[in-house]
Amino acid sequence: MSLRTDPRFKAAGKEIGRAVAALAVALLVTFVVVLLTSQDPIKAFGTLLTAPFSSMRTTGLWIDEVAKLTLTGLAFALVFQARQFSMGVQGQVYVGALFATFIALSPLGATLLALPLGILVAMLAGAAYGFIPGYAKARFGANEIVSSLMLNYLAIKVVNYLIRAHLAPTGTGQLMTEKFPAQSIFPALLPNTRFDLGIVIAVLSVAAVWFLLYRTRWGLKLRLVGHNARFAEYAGIPSSLTMISAMTAAGAIGGLLGAVYVHGRAFGRLAIDFDGNLAFEGILVAIVARDRPLVVPIVALFYGYLRQGAQLMAIRSDVPSEVISIVQAIIILLVASSFTIPGKAFWVRLFRFGPARTVEAAGK
Amino acid sequence: MVPLIQAKSISKTYPGGTLANDRVDLTVMPGEVHAVIGENGAGKSTLMKILFGVEQPDSGELIYDGKPVGFAKPREAIDAGIGMVFQHFSLVPSFSVYENVVLGAEPRTGIRFDREKAIAEVEALSEKYRLKVDPLPPVGRIPVGQQQRVEILKALYRNARVLILDEPTAVLAPQEVEELFVAVRSLVAQGKTVIFIAHKLPEVLEISDRITVMRGGRTVGEVLSRDVDEHGLATMMVGREVTLRVDRAKDEGPVSLEVKGLHIHGESGAPICQDLNLRVRKGEILGLVGVEGNGQSELIEAVAGLRSVADGAIYVDGKDLLPLDVKARRNIGLASIPEDRIARGLAVGASVAENMVATRLDDERFVRRGLLDLKAIRAQAEQLIGRFSVKVGSPASAIGTLSGGNMQKVVVARELAEQPKLLLVNQPTRGVDLGATEFIWKSITGARDGGAAVLLCSADLGELLALSDRLVVFYRGRIVAAFVNSDELTPETLGRYMLGIETQSPETVRAALK
Ligand SMILES: Nc1ncnc2c1ncn2[C@@H]1O[C@H](COP(=O)(O)OP(=O)(O)O)[C@@H](O)[C@H]1O
Ligand SMILES: [Mg+2]
Repeated sequence: MSLRTDPRFKAAGKEIGRAVAALAVALLVTFVVVLLTSQDPIKAFGTLLTAPFSSMRTTGLWIDEVAKLTLTGLAFALVFQARQFSMGVQGQVYVGALFATFIALSPLGATLLALPLGILVAMLAGAAYGFIPGYAKARFGANEIVSSLMLNYLAIKVVNYLIRAHLAPTGTGQLMTEKFPAQSIFPALLPNTRFDLGIVIAVLSVAAVWFLLYRTRWGLKLRLVGHNARFAEYAGIPSSLTMISAMTAAGAIGGLLGAVYVHGRAFGRLAIDFDGNLAFEGILVAIVARDRPLVVPIVALFYGYLRQGAQLMAIRSDVPSEVISIVQAIIILLVASSFTIPGKAFWVRLFRFGPARTVEAAGK
Repeated sequence: MVPLIQAKSISKTYPGGTLANDRVDLTVMPGEVHAVIGENGAGKSTLMKILFGVEQPDSGELIYDGKPVGFAKPREAIDAGIGMVFQHFSLVPSFSVYENVVLGAEPRTGIRFDREKAIAEVEALSEKYRLKVDPLPPVGRIPVGQQQRVEILKALYRNARVLILDEPTAVLAPQEVEELFVAVRSLVAQGKTVIFIAHKLPEVLEISDRITVMRGGRTVGEVLSRDVDEHGLATMMVGREVTLRVDRAKDEGPVSLEVKGLHIHGESGAPICQDLNLRVRKGEILGLVGVEGNGQSELIEAVAGLRSVADGAIYVDGKDLLPLDVKARRNIGLASIPEDRIARGLAVGASVAENMVATRLDDERFVRRGLLDLKAIRAQAEQLIGRFSVKVGSPASAIGTLSGGNMQKVVVARELAEQPKLLLVNQPTRGVDLGATEFIWKSITGARDGGAAVLLCSADLGELLALSDRLVVFYRGRIVAAFVNSDELTPETLGRYMLGIETQSPETVRAALK
């Protein structure tokens, strides 16, 4: 079967066309907004589009963000594929980061075990935190959206409190812990940039999630439950168990992202509100990637670029970085509503200026 | 007599490249009921949409009332006196019946909508053509059968001379079909012409004067109803000899499934099934007869492990089923073709191969140490696609791209891939065309001959009578009658028990179930 006729490739082509069109529309609207608000719109918009490439350092910032967006996108993609709407990644990131910090600040933090142990403990903590809303749903019918959002707030508040009250160096009033020992910080892949182990971990995670979903029995069960839970039950696939395990596995990825944050060169410590809400943007990445793990890093690459561009634009011009919210909102709107790219008929109709034949009686 | 409608050599290719009508001819005489029959996808709806101006033909000629015509949109067809009721209705659910009927052509006094006049006119029409319906309630609240009458009234209100009904009986219960036929006869008696699309042959023979048969986008023939029988029509429609006759079970095996004193309660605790007792032998089909909602489906779900049981016992070959979960039941040889293939029987978004292996995820052939053997899964799918002649591009195609009949074949293929011990079947051919029906029936009797005990539930009495070796009738959750199937047993007899008019004594029931 040739690539052109294979239905999967056709569908993929359509999806890509849709995503690119959404991006173009979003950029167009952003451009109009910049045009209306900025003294020097060309420079501002130019910064948005080119800044991440302006130096090795900014490229490093971009790649660092891509790694993080990829991980949160993967966590969301995993639960979305099981049709669970757990929003708990942010909470998992916080508990993961907290437990990785415990290791880093313990005597173990200055040994070679620091990183592997930190990552492992963070993943376990995240998994446990992801397990809770799954179990609550299976056992008590608790809505996972509500419970996971509450757990997010809980985790953020507790971590912030612990930093302020116990983990920050006493008497300094700082909102962060001491810098971790060197053994607890990812080595730089390129000196003086943020190119570190984070991107490697993200790439490995993409491969792992893809493998789990499409090559293992667990993944097939998870996807079947996601497609149709009543079918799964009828086929003898325990859907509660599958659902809980999906949320737990996604939790582990969330915890891993927490470890990547605190061990990464960008931080190398635990700080208050450290994720800047990035963990939540995995929703956008997963939705645009249609929950497909191999597409997640591609979306993260584009979206991370825009995010980084917007932040640099805010620094270097008079446009605030919030314009990125416009891009975000438009993309979500367009992609989630499954709009279709106008076809031939539309353009013919548009340029004929007359009412084309319409089918009034909606029938099939 | 001159024909009222003549379509000559109409061709239509859809943008996707489907040749839906290939030089189709149709001749409809005034005042007749003209049936157009053919399997799903034969191109019937397409031809009707062309007559009604919804689709435009690529080539061919349309003659209406002696003059060549071409309807660019439905409005023009309506103005010419053609009305159409689609397979999917186009009514406004929140509007009342009379509002829906007059919508777009409201009677007015001055510029005001004349409500009383509208209601009176709708009542008069409904009286005249024996299409009984209350004009006042919102359309969303009345049953489908009545919604259909509203659609017909809508067309009549616009002075339709020709009425096209696209598969009107597909959504109707048997009694409603009878009522529709009364209305159709009264329409024709008062000079209207009716084009009637269908694929159920007995009803076509009952209602129509003439029949045009379509297959694969072409007309294969036109016949007078009084000159043909079901068998001849079926052969024309499918293009080969179809035998919807199946052989009865040859010999009786030992009892395999035994249900004892079974009680099932609904979610609210109300009893759904009470004190069910039945036995099914190896190599035998037991038909569960009953108006929908009398407990047959629930019994099947309970045996499948999808519904909890309040009291009683279910044994398969002496083994107690109730403590086992769905997977364990499947492992001892239970297979099940569920009532609703889309809601229950398939994961529509997943691929054909994934659907076919979904019940065998513990099988060493397909999964080892938790890893999928994609090659084996694909090979199995290809083999089943061949064996059950499923029409599909590749095992990787999503189920959602298949037609209803082919979806059902995927379910049947998966469930009958291996010879089951106990087969549960619910509505096996609902919405499935004749060719696939024949195939599915053969598959079920094949499993029976291989030694399976079969429980069969169907809303189609013809199907139950054709397949079952024995039948039990359900009424309000109880078994009220049991029969050994024979040529003397008629739908009418069963009907009296189904409606609770008659009840057999417990001894008679027990005797028939041996
Ligand atoms: N709007 C459409 N676009 C593309 N293909 C269509 C469309 N409508 C019907 N078809 C295709 O045309 C063929 C004939 O369909 P239809 O006329 O609906 O058949 P029938 O009513 O006899 O079941 C089928 O293969 C169907 O898939
Ligand atoms: Mg049709």
